[in-house]
Amino acid sequence: MHESEQAQYVRLKHFGIPRLLPYLRPYRRVLWLMVVFALLGSLTDVLIPLFQRHALNAFVAAQTLRGLPLFVLLYVLLILAQVAVNSVTVYAACHVELCTGRDMKRASFNHLQTLSLSYFNQNSVGYVHARIMSDTNRIGSMVSWSFLEGLWNIAYLVGAAAVMLALRPTLALFVLVVVPVAVLASAYFQKKLVGLNRKTRELNSRITGQFNEGITGAKTTKTLVTEGRMVSDFSRTTAAMKRLSVHTAQTRALFYTIISFTASVAMALVLWRGSLITMAGVMEIGTLSVFMSYALGMMEPVRWLVSAIANLVTVQVNVERFTRLMETRCDVTDTPEVIEKYGDVFHPKKENWEPLHGDVEFQDVYFKYPDGEEYVLEGFNLTVPQGTNVAIVGETGAGKSTLVNLVCRFFEPTAGRILIDGRDVRERSQLWLHSHIGYVLQTPHLFSGTVLENLRYGKPDATMEEVEAAVRSVQANSIISRLEKGYDSQVGEGGDLLSTGEKQLLSYARAILADPRIFVLDEATASVDTVTEKRMQEATARLMKGRTSFVIAHRLSTIREADLILVVSDGKIIERGTHQELLAQQGAYHALYTRQYEEEATKRVLD
Amino acid sequence: MNAQPSPKKRFSKSSMLLFFLRGSKRFFVAAVLFSFTLTLLEMLIPQIVSFTIDSVIGNKAPSAAWIAVPAAWAGGVDFLRAHVWVLALAVAAVALLAAGAKYLNLYCHDKAAETLMCRMRDTLFAHVHTLPYEWHNRHDTGDIIQRCTSDVDTTRNFVAEQLLLVFRIVILMFLSFFFMFRILPKLTLVAALSIPVIFLYSVVFSFKMTKRFTACDESEGVLSTIAQENLTGVRVVRAFGRENDEREKFERQNSLYTTLWLKLCRLLTLFWTMGDLISGVQVMLVITLGAVLAVRGELSAGQYIAFVSYNAMMIWPVRQLGRVISEMSKAGVSIDRIRYIMNAPPETDAEDDLCPPMDGDIVFSHVSFAYDQGQEVLDDVSFTAKGGRVLGILGATGSGKSTLMHLLCRLYELPQDGGDITIGGVSVRRIRRGWLRSHIGMVLQEPFLFSRTIAENIAITSEGLSHEEIRAAAQTAALDEAVCGFPRGYDTVVGERGVTLSGGQKQRVAIARMLVQKAPIMVYDDALSAVDAETDAAIRREMTKHFGSATVVLIAHRMTTLMHADHIIVLDRGRIAEQGTHDELLARDGIYRQIYDIQMSAAEGGQNDA
Repeated sequence: MHESEQAQYVRLKHFGIPRLLPYLRPYRRVLWLMVVFALLGSLTDVLIPLFQRHALNAFVAAQTLRGLPLFVLLYVLLILAQVAVNSVTVYAACHVELCTGRDMKRASFNHLQTLSLSYFNQNSVGYVHARIMSDTNRIGSMVSWSFLEGLWNIAYLVGAAAVMLALRPTLALFVLVVVPVAVLASAYFQKKLVGLNRKTRELNSRITGQFNEGITGAKTTKTLVTEGRMVSDFSRTTAAMKRLSVHTAQTRALFYTIISFTASVAMALVLWRGSLITMAGVMEIGTLSVFMSYALGMMEPVRWLVSAIANLVTVQVNVERFTRLMETRCDVTDTPEVIEKYGDVFHPKKENWEPLHGDVEFQDVYFKYPDGEEYVLEGFNLTVPQGTNVAIVGETGAGKSTLVNLVCRFFEPTAGRILIDGRDVRERSQLWLHSHIGYVLQTPHLFSGTVLENLRYGKPDATMEEVEAAVRSVQANSIISRLEKGYDSQVGEGGDLLSTGEKQLLSYARAILADPRIFVLDEATASVDTVTEKRMQEATARLMKGRTSFVIAHRLSTIREADLILVVSDGKIIERGTHQELLAQQGAYHALYTRQYEEEATKRVLD
Repeated sequence: MNAQPSPKKRFSKSSMLLFFLRGSKRFFVAAVLFSFTLTLLEMLIPQIVSFTIDSVIGNKAPSAAWIAVPAAWAGGVDFLRAHVWVLALAVAAVALLAAGAKYLNLYCHDKAAETLMCRMRDTLFAHVHTLPYEWHNRHDTGDIIQRCTSDVDTTRNFVAEQLLLVFRIVILMFLSFFFMFRILPKLTLVAALSIPVIFLYSVVFSFKMTKRFTACDESEGVLSTIAQENLTGVRVVRAFGRENDEREKFERQNSLYTTLWLKLCRLLTLFWTMGDLISGVQVMLVITLGAVLAVRGELSAGQYIAFVSYNAMMIWPVRQLGRVISEMSKAGVSIDRIRYIMNAPPETDAEDDLCPPMDGDIVFSHVSFAYDQGQEVLDDVSFTAKGGRVLGILGATGSGKSTLMHLLCRLYELPQDGGDITIGGVSVRRIRRGWLRSHIGMVLQEPFLFSRTIAENIAITSEGLSHEEIRAAAQTAALDEAVCGFPRGYDTVVGERGVTLSGGQKQRVAIARMLVQKAPIMVYDDALSAVDAETDAAIRREMTKHFGSATVVLIAHRMTTLMHADHIIVLDRGRIAEQGTHDELLARDGIYRQIYDIQMSAAEGGQNDA
């Protein structure tokens, strides 16, 4: 949010259109159609007042109805033409807006599927989400509607000016002389309004933020008895908002007033000069009347034109952010040779995939995070033969995920090698590796859809028997039978219809079903009830059995059973060994274990 | 806040709107009046034009007195014929007045809207803060926020935009018809005939459109969720190698969404252009028939031009009317959603509630409590926390420890038959809530910090605290060192907009916050669970100096934290299993002893794996 508000003024070459060309090119025919029909449409708008002129001149002033049927016929035809032309223009604009929007959404989403995880570590979900959804929408509407609006209004202004000049050049000048005033006023006020609107948006998000905080922090506010302070702070923000909004309103009111007043002035000028010419008998009343219509009608298009340009300018920031996302390159990429053999993310060549056995080896690995300055691994060596269970322990935020990130090749070592089954991970594709790794997160993540779809996430072609077996193996059958529609029950957005414990167990079943050779688990710290806790312990043990596993461990049972324990502090591995060895060292592990033991034992006694 | 309604009042839709409109009503009325003035002035201009054409350029006598009199006053028709600029000046003058009216109209309108908005927001925010904690717990945060933000927007738009626009359109129609009727009733009838057609057409179509819009919005919601879930679950997607399936899922919904919108666009295009057609034909009819009537001598050229102008002024607003009405129909739901919050009864103290001294004994006698009917969380709990002493509470998660504290500070009300809690002999039911809570300092396991600076968070209960006092409290809570490590020190903003503190740091900020409160009762609800044992011990050592004469309640798992309490109770599934001093409990050889042995042996490193 904040970065977005700060980077409001971005100037791109040619309004960033060249960078958007790939998305516009498929619709260039529709765009041309839109342009041509917009020009035709504004032409009909210019022509319509001429009928009133003709009615006045040929019938009212001449006191005859001769030619009336033809007049009506032409008039009706023009109206029909206008309606037809306008519907094509409007639909073409819709088409361009939606289709370019769709293509940009697709492109950005697909691109995100190939970006490194470091990108997702550095950019919040909300930020990236806004790139896919709102930037593409705004760009889509810019290339269609803002463009159309600009074009239409320019055409109208030019057309009306041309008609007036053709009818009576001297009188036309009296109208056209006022136009620059409207242009200047629009440019001045529009610029001011853009700034004011930005401030308004900022304040608005602050108000929402305060509402959010007021409601989520209700308990604290009550116990601290600071309601008065919260309320008065909030009122200060809303009062500031009111002041700003009223100021904006005054600016806008002045702007609109000036525009309509200039129109009236133009009309007064026409009335003055026009009446003189008409009285001199050089011009007919109909022409005078049509001039007054144009005079009154010319200032609004000026305002719209300027506002379309202002839109174009404000969308620049969206264009910039969208194209920057599309130009972001991946830190972890497969080499062309690897892609040649194993296929890419969207087109895997599974027939060439070797099975994975499960030996993992770190050889002299140096690593620092792309956004970090310090090396967290320096000359790290570790051999993990197939079937070894590795537990990684340490305080929250100590950097326990680093090894896991490297094994999964979410990041690559700065120097050194990681071998899987004796071959460098970079020699085979990421998709190959990932398809053989089972992954259970601390905060289990399910997708909207049914329970079954979620269970099959890692193995879409799993049979019902396999699914049921996996569910039974983590004793999650009670969850399924509790649900009204069993396997076909919806889990809700992010699995919200299920409890954390249930989500946890289902994500275990999902991992078991995929039957990975290497298993990565980030154990949950959240407290669940005793029964679920016990089930999860058993599920963990079952998953780890016979598989190479890396567990970010919090449970004593998991830690004790591990073949190798790594203790992490401040991002670095400070101790390694088996449970007994590490306890004997009386170091960090000992302290950590003791505390954990205290808590678990206490809990056991009390429950 | 004077914006608060009286507690027992229940709002109906209209009474709530009227309540919110206090303070902005006069601006609304002014806006309508200026709107009327503006329209009237705008309608004068065609009159001047008509007069110019008929009587100045032509030589018809002025038809109406309101033109004839000022014309005579301005020097008569002959004079005007020689000085046409006077007429142009008259147009400009009227336009200037109209501009003034327009400015005032827009200004009053926005002022009214903003005043209304500000009042709605303030009232809701204050009201939500008076609602009992129990209410907050029962409702979804996102839903409340939505009611307080987007429903407020909808309501504001209903009153300030749509309702006012309807007024404006009605005024415009009324005045145009008035002027048209004065020119030629017959032709007015023709113009008027098309009004119901345009109006009905746009109402029906707009309602139809609204439904489609909802469908499109929902489909956009689904698409947005897919993207959201893909991003939050990016590790799962990668780990299972499901990028391709994700791509297909997104693409399916993306196409569906686009197709739906394209369909809607076709309908919209049809709607707009059909509207254009109907109003275009209406204008054509007026122009043609007007010409026929003019040729028949029923209408002069000037009148003809004026009539056509009036007709044109009216057409577009009438088309808008349909859209506005269909939009207005949506507001009812939003108003009800806000009403639901406004009608929730706030916590209120009785007139004669007390502010007794808070340093006496805290006595729980036969307290029983259930959040939901039937599920007893506390069952006949009785104990005493001596004034000025330290009470320790040991219990498992869900044993009811936190409920004791909720009841003590009346976040939840103790039911009449649920026993009693007294402080210095006075039942908490009789103590003013503000008084009670401000004298009980509380640190929770997962403390909530406000997105302000660390200094502001610490001093939130006591304004005007010096920097030294804040810093002293932070030092006691073993926080000072960490804070000084931040680039902006105590001015570091906490939370989303600033640094993210670790669980232990948050707990320490909360402890410092409580220390400056200098409350006679202090409650630590698992308050040091996220800091390691050494820091815990250090903080406790420091804090013991600050306990002074305060009554302290320590809820903890760690024996070393609890053992120094003057009195300890062990809570087990809502009942008191044991209570006494540390030595008494050890001697009893019960749960307490068991836990003590485990923890002590763990500390010595010689534990057996259970």
